[in-house]
Amino acid sequence: MDLAKYRALFLEEAAEHLAEMSRALLDLEKDVASSGSIDVVFRAAHSIKGMAASLGYDSISEVAHKLEDRMEGPRTAGRIEGATDLPLLFRALEGLERMLAAVRETGEPPPPDVELVAALADPAEGALKKKAPGRR
Amino acid sequence: MKPRVLVADDAAFMRHMIKEIIEPEGFEVVREAADGVEAVEAFRELQPDIVTMDIVMPRSSGIDAVKKIVEIDPQARIVMCSALGQETLVMEAIQAGAKDFIVKPFKPDAVLATLKKVLEKEL
Repeated sequence: MDLAKYRALFLEEAAEHLAEMSRALLDLEKDVASSGSIDVVFRAAHSIKGMAASLGYDSISEVAHKLEDRMEGPRTAGRIEGATDLPLLFRALEGLERMLAAVRETGEPPPPDVELVAALADPAEGALKKKAPGRR
Repeated sequence: MKPRVLVADDAAFMRHMIKEIIEPEGFEVVREAADGVEAVEAFRELQPDIVTMDIVMPRSSGIDAVKKIVEIDPQARIVMCSALGQETLVMEAIQAGAKDFIVKPFKPDAVLATLKKVLEKEL
């Protein structure tokens, strides 16, 4: 397998998914019940999970996996809890963007983001505990 | 004659990877589909020997596409491409008519063995 070629493909496609995710999160800021946007975030996380795992970028795959799991509730409910979910989702987006940038710069798998993974896995995690830096 | 394969996955990256695994081993990818709707249309048009189908895709999911393809051809040979944590969805797809599944990240030997096994299955 030509790793460099796949890495370039991965970076390109994952960046597109993150751009879609970013637009979807901005939509969700305006309408917490936008089920289309919830689906976009879920699918983008799912796609990144599979691609990253295929290249051995386990730390990226893990964050994407936890984000995908985190979106299951909103998918079922048809809405997010704006005050609690959005900061965490923006934080996940930024975490993934940071990890992709690290791959782009070094070509190596980025280190795990243990805090982000734990936050995504924690049902109580939300705006009251941690604020997303920068975005809001 | 080479087995004709329809590859359905919303990630071009994954489609490329499957193609690169199977084409050197004597399979011919006759079409790539980026969502469930495209997959059903391509199946109807091309009647491939086997389909690899991602589960989570836009417009129409892999499971919905399996149901529609099985309506077109109850003997269709469909292999689901699943990821970690999708066991329930894989079971749903198998109940809908998919014949087997492969797990991401793809291991070339496992992908080839599964496709060959499904192609050899008596239906």
